Amino acid sequence: MEERSPNDVLLAERIRRGDRDALGLLYDRYAALALGVAMRIVSDQPTAEDLVHDAFVTIWQKIARFDATRGSLRAWIVTIVRNRAIDRLRAGRPSVEVGEADERSLLSTGPNPTWAEAIASVSARQLRVAVESLPTEQREAIELAYFRGHTYREIAVLTGVPIGTANGRLRLAIAKLRDALGGTDAAPLRPESLAIPEVDR
Amino acid sequence: MNERLDCAAVDELGAAYAIGALDPTERVAVDEHLASCPQPHAELRGMLGADEALAASVEPMPPSPALRDRLMATIATTPQEGAAAAIRPAPAAPEVTASERSWSDRWLGWLSPPLARGLAAAAVVVALALGAWNVSLQGSLSSRDQQLQAVAAAVSGGQAAFRASGSIGSGYVVEDGSGHANLVVADLAPLATDRIYELWLIGADNAPIAVGTFGGSSAPVAVIPLERGLGGFTTFAVTVEPQRVSAPTSKPVMVATLGG
Repeated sequence: MEERSPNDVLLAERIRRGDRDALGLLYDRYAALALGVAMRIVSDQPTAEDLVHDAFVTIWQKIARFDATRGSLRAWIVTIVRNRAIDRLRAGRPSVEVGEADERSLLSTGPNPTWAEAIASVSARQLRVAVESLPTEQREAIELAYFRGHTYREIAVLTGVPIGTANGRLRLAIAKLRDALGGTDAAPLRPESLAIPEVDR
Repeated sequence: MNERLDCAAVDELGAAYAIGALDPTERVAVDEHLASCPQPHAELRGMLGADEALAASVEPMPPSPALRDRLMATIATTPQEGAAAAIRPAPAAPEVTASERSWSDRWLGWLSPPLARGLAAAAVVVALALGAWNVSLQGSLSSRDQQLQAVAAAVSGGQAAFRASGSIGSGYVVEDGSGHANLVVADLAPLATDRIYELWLIGADNAPIAVGTFGGSSAPVAVIPLERGLGGFTTFAVTVEPQRVSAPTSKPVMVATLGG
């Protein structure tokens, strides 16, 4: 029987068995997304394509460690690409070791229906609009954190605000995005809880 | 040395944690707290996945055609880590012997009628719709059975799943949207290196048909494809064999009743 469109869990199992065609299908499904993310961060196509290539090779090599109950292949691919792109961008700055980041991305990208359903039901453009609709300081915090690879502590320095404020902007931004995308399942973010003090060190 | 964070501090760092904006020390501290804390941390968990949304907000960009060729050339010469440990290939099928046929008769006796009736009573035909999958994922997927159901639901795409159980563990037999059948199992009992698991489908004529083998899995939850769809069959079974055989030679170690 000819397989029409195997889902990602089945693709992962086929890749685990050494099926190179399955990796090709996975690439066809997510390469454009991965390259878009890489380009957004490094702004150079040859470099971005190298990152995408290396990410899929990593998927191929480490597929035995993939656990579908902990996250999706899509999330794993994107996280690897993002981590590696940020690592390239941060050259000269302290950075998480890429191999260790790959391992961690496998473990920490837990599936979350709130976001997964939103991503599945809206277009990239709608997601972009949601991000662009955030207040300027929150959008800036997201840009510096996710697309430039800065920690919230670095964002505080870069934007000249206390670290509690930088962290609070990230929390508000993510909560607003969640609300804008229709997510209602997660616990509500209480406004008063955002007046956070500095995290004890 | 990593610092210890209390629950409030962990929740405050939820957004930064979710989108990779913690320094390594804080990130490890949050990981360690979440790994040991009995609290649900709903706020933080509600933010996990936000990074995917940010990535998905980016305009996709088609790669150059040469990139795919380059990738496929690379993986053709790149070994996979742990591939042999994950699923060991089974030996080729030998000729069936008269002795195996007699075992087959005994084996069918094990399946019916008392065991088959008991399984029918105990079997749960689970309509694992994706909605139910999402509900189960609202929590932390704390139990292996929840994880098993989540994977079974992902494979089946919401179609019926048939509970399989036995001495080697538990699982589900499911068909995906393309009509391919799969066994989804969790925490399989260790298998001797000179033995394999063999999968069987049995129809109304009580003739077991071999539909695959596997050599055990190191994955917490494994998906094993069957060589045939479930249509026309009433029972699924797993036996332990020294090699692939065309008739079972041992008592089933896992059984599922297919259909209501």
